[in-house]
Amino acid sequence: MTTLSIRGLRVGYGRRLVLDDLDLELGVGVHGLLGPNGAGKTTLMRVLATVLRPDRGDVRLLGQPLADDAGLRRARRRLGYLPQSFGFYPRFTVREFVEYFAWLREMPPAEIPLAVDRAIERVGLLDRADDRMKHLSGGMLRRAGIAQAIVNDPGLLLLDEPTAGLDPEQRVEFRALLRELGLDAVVVVSTHLVEDVVAACARVSLVDNGRLVFTGLPDELIAAGEDGDSGDSPIERGYTAVLRGAREAAR
Amino acid sequence: MTDFHLDARVLAAYVDGGLDDADAWSVEAHLDRCAGCRAGIVLDEPTERLVEAAAVALVRRLPPPGRARPASTWRRLRVLLSAAPAARGAWLMAVAVAGLAFLGASVGPATLPPWLLLLLAPALPVVGTALSYGPRTDPLHELVAGTPHGGLRIVLWRTLAVLTATAPVAVLAGTVTGLGPPAVWPLMCLALTALTLALGSLVEPATAAGVVLGMWALVVLAPFGAWAVVVDSGPVWLAVTTAALAVLYVRREQVGRRAA
Repeated sequence: MTTLSIRGLRVGYGRRLVLDDLDLELGVGVHGLLGPNGAGKTTLMRVLATVLRPDRGDVRLLGQPLADDAGLRRARRRLGYLPQSFGFYPRFTVREFVEYFAWLREMPPAEIPLAVDRAIERVGLLDRADDRMKHLSGGMLRRAGIAQAIVNDPGLLLLDEPTAGLDPEQRVEFRALLRELGLDAVVVVSTHLVEDVVAACARVSLVDNGRLVFTGLPDELIAAGEDGDSGDSPIERGYTAVLRGAREAAR
Repeated sequence: MTDFHLDARVLAAYVDGGLDDADAWSVEAHLDRCAGCRAGIVLDEPTERLVEAAAVALVRRLPPPGRARPASTWRRLRVLLSAAPAARGAWLMAVAVAGLAFLGASVGPATLPPWLLLLLAPALPVVGTALSYGPRTDPLHELVAGTPHGGLRIVLWRTLAVLTATAPVAVLAGTVTGLGPPAVWPLMCLALTALTLALGSLVEPATAAGVVLGMWALVVLAPFGAWAVVVDSGPVWLAVTTAALAVLYVRREQVGRRAA
């Protein structure tokens, strides 16, 4: 079942074209979004998060067309988003921070207290729930960010570089959480860490220079690599092979 | 999670109540541990509603885990207000201007000309509002802009917070200077703030505030004494407010959602 579909997406900043004629269809499960820095991953995530308006193209999230105000509002209620970098209000506690976003996503008030605690517990931050955000470490801030993204049990969860700042043990726990979330939601994880994709993603898409150059199973990406390609692991070799192929074809 | 998973038919039989007690217990023991199999449970809609209602009712009766707060309107308001640091800044500015007004009243109008208060008092809510949202000043803008409640709605809440703090100062300034009826002073605050919000749907909020304040300064400081006229034109201010609110309504999807 397709719950996210993009057709002919085009986004530019000024004259520079960041995404060019991009088509993508995703269903329930964890999807890895790979690509070199500056390929357009974050721009794509921001369009999906309804923060950035595309110049052209048709975007449907969870069956709702974004061009229509009512559809946009319904889609936003079921959306969870963790940007690559985000600030915080220093006086907020973790609980207030997560609660604020439960409220902004228009959850029914009776469900909020439980949902907030559950989200904080799922990221392993319950013992720090009443600490102010300014007293948290970088990894804890990122986990608080993940908690606000999952508080409304989103149907579409967008995580931009979620593992940045997490230590290896937390990364392993986070991947388990990802697999659990991917059971009944569309989860899109943008990352430059190829090993995250192998460990947690059911499908993987590769973006380069504003275009989608590969989409398929992690095994298919691995199969694209040959011994001569650069990279320390099979999937890294597949990644460089696909990128090289796409760049040669573009010439 | 474990490697063992329940067969779909076993799970379906469990949901229909078709298993004997001993089997049902072992299924439940596994479900406690395995989110994958829990997700495989398919309930019909009435049962799903029942489970949902039971969960909500249970939470109300159980002692809250940790120190969860009940979702009261009061708490919502408190979280909302502490979420707008700039609204607190507006409080501080308001106190400063109130102090200035009292000073003016005590030392007499010779040292503190009335036009200075006229310039400052209605500018306070404009500055406070412009600082309370937008990609440059709200550290959570990127997150807030993607939520259903995050655009015009949250901006209006914050504006209300700023106006609550600053409008009384304007009334006070009006009384101290004795320029025009005191009621026109909060109306000027409202009109200039609404103009800033309306303009803020087209350009950065800070730029919008700059433009509005620039025009305001021109009016107040104009050499031919226009400031004496503005305080006596209540209907004009009302018209300005209405026009700005109309623009705001038409462009509501753009307010507070401009990308950085």
